[in-house]
Amino acid sequence: MLLLSVTVVIVSFGLTRSQAADDTGTIKEFKQSVSPEEYQRRYKEFYGNFTEQMAEEGNPADFMVDDGKVLFNKVAGTKGKSCASCHKDDGKDLVGAATRFPKYDASIKGIKTVALQINMCRKKNMGAKPMKYQSYDQLALVLYVKSLSNGMPINVSIDGPARPFYEKGKAFYYKRMGQLNFSCAVCHVKYAGYKARANLISNNRHHADHWPSYRLKWGKTGSLQRRFRGCMKNMRAKPLAYQSELYRDMELYLTNISNGLPIEVPGFRM
Amino acid sequence: MPKGIGRIKIRIPRKIKKGAVIPVKALITHPMETGFRKNKKTGKKIPAYYINDVNVYYGDKLITHCDWTIAVSANPFMSFYVKADKAAPLKIVWKDIKGGVYEKTVQITPE
Amino acid sequence: MSKKETNLKISRRQFMRSTGLGLACAAALMSGALPGLLGKAYAKGTKSANDAAGAESIKKVLRKYFGDRKIENSHVNLKLPIIAENGAVVPIKIQSDLPMDNNNYVKKVYIFVEGNLNPYTAAIDLSPANGKADLAMRIKMRKTSNVRVVLETSKGKLYGAVKSVKVTIGGCGG
Repeated sequence: MLLLSVTVVIVSFGLTRSQAADDTGTIKEFKQSVSPEEYQRRYKEFYGNFTEQMAEEGNPADFMVDDGKVLFNKVAGTKGKSCASCHKDDGKDLVGAATRFPKYDASIKGIKTVALQINMCRKKNMGAKPMKYQSYDQLALVLYVKSLSNGMPINVSIDGPARPFYEKGKAFYYKRMGQLNFSCAVCHVKYAGYKARANLISNNRHHADHWPSYRLKWGKTGSLQRRFRGCMKNMRAKPLAYQSELYRDMELYLTNISNGLPIEVPGFRM
Repeated sequence: MPKGIGRIKIRIPRKIKKGAVIPVKALITHPMETGFRKNKKTGKKIPAYYINDVNVYYGDKLITHCDWTIAVSANPFMSFYVKADKAAPLKIVWKDIKGGVYEKTVQITPE
Repeated sequence: MSKKETNLKISRRQFMRSTGLGLACAAALMSGALPGLLGKAYAKGTKSANDAAGAESIKKVLRKYFGDRKIENSHVNLKLPIIAENGAVVPIKIQSDLPMDNNNYVKKVYIFVEGNLNPYTAAIDLSPANGKADLAMRIKMRKTSNVRVVLETSKGKLYGAVKSVKVTIGGCGG
């Protein structure tokens, strides 16, 4: 009995070690447990189409898109400019721009998201204070900018200078962490379509294409990184700060998985 | 008033036949705070703040009234029916416990 | 088999009859299909969501609003998810074929969530101008329990429906 328990401990230790992300090399990806289509089928079977109906009835986040448009035209900062001063006609030149985010930016030697880009613009071109992440105004502005690309296929690049950051993002996605020793990939790739208690674990194909999203659990709208933080807390791991480097890298990794899918913001989720 | 409270969306069918019983879908943004939640940082209770009274007017007649409690979900949605027998405005008025009054009117024009 | 032992033994036929009858009665009681007990069946609700404490308090609430008036378990269709993905937002749809004429219409719709600390959730006053007594809303549920609706007509009659909704502790999403 003692020998058996010892063996179990050694084997499980060995297993966890082997699945630990190797920060220097490439990660061996898990095989998806179920296809995205099979996951959708299981979702409908388990939860019905109640959430879909509620989304169709009306998304409270739609008001934020309108508010974002107003903010886009509002002057802010020391230079007397608004976003529309450079991006004329309510940002006509930004149609399609969000499909290429997150992307590499040489000036920060890293990956920038739409949220970070907005704050970078404000600082550099407008002399305006950065917006607080997850504040109503900040989310409204991100929603407006992203909504200009609604329906257009996501098309992020992971080549060239973006590559090492993409790999870092993937490593973080596969890294086991926290008191429960989970990684994002264990649930959302390996065991997607199965249940964690009474929740059906979602497949990650669509994870990046509908943020910011209204979430019924929050009763509010939030960003993908807010969801990252929530997930990490659920894993009993310490969440990172908004727009920290690893979150931006991981956002690139996840968005690449949604390449080809249309942007649809604001989302409506449980 | 904090941002994003009292934003209203009312949907009625585009084509309305005279005398038809039509669905009306109304959504209003409001936190519908129960008064049971605690602020995670301060530990203090977040005070109750919710819509408790809804009135629906068709023309100048009150046709529907609702009494809501904290058990109605945040950003409350409601769908009900109206017999569209006349061309008249449909006005919905929501009132919350802090005295906030929110209203919106849509025009019912039967063909 | 001596004569002294026969009063303890029953024939196989007798045993099958009495057990069968007992089982049939139990099954009938559990399904609530016995006629004339419509009122009681309504108050009992679905067995799976009934714990003693919950049933007691809903009886008190129903008495507070409706006294001893009989609530007919008919003419009302209640649509709710079997499992609520999130107890904070449970969509409820109420449909009824009861008339909405000037002399006979549904004047009030009550919604109760048994598992909530205060089961009274909302009440909607309707008028003939509504044309139909159909409604939809989103309600909060503290835990797995019954959701009940009661429709009161202008003639003072009561009709109701009950449905059980599971509210679960999510693994991660909830």
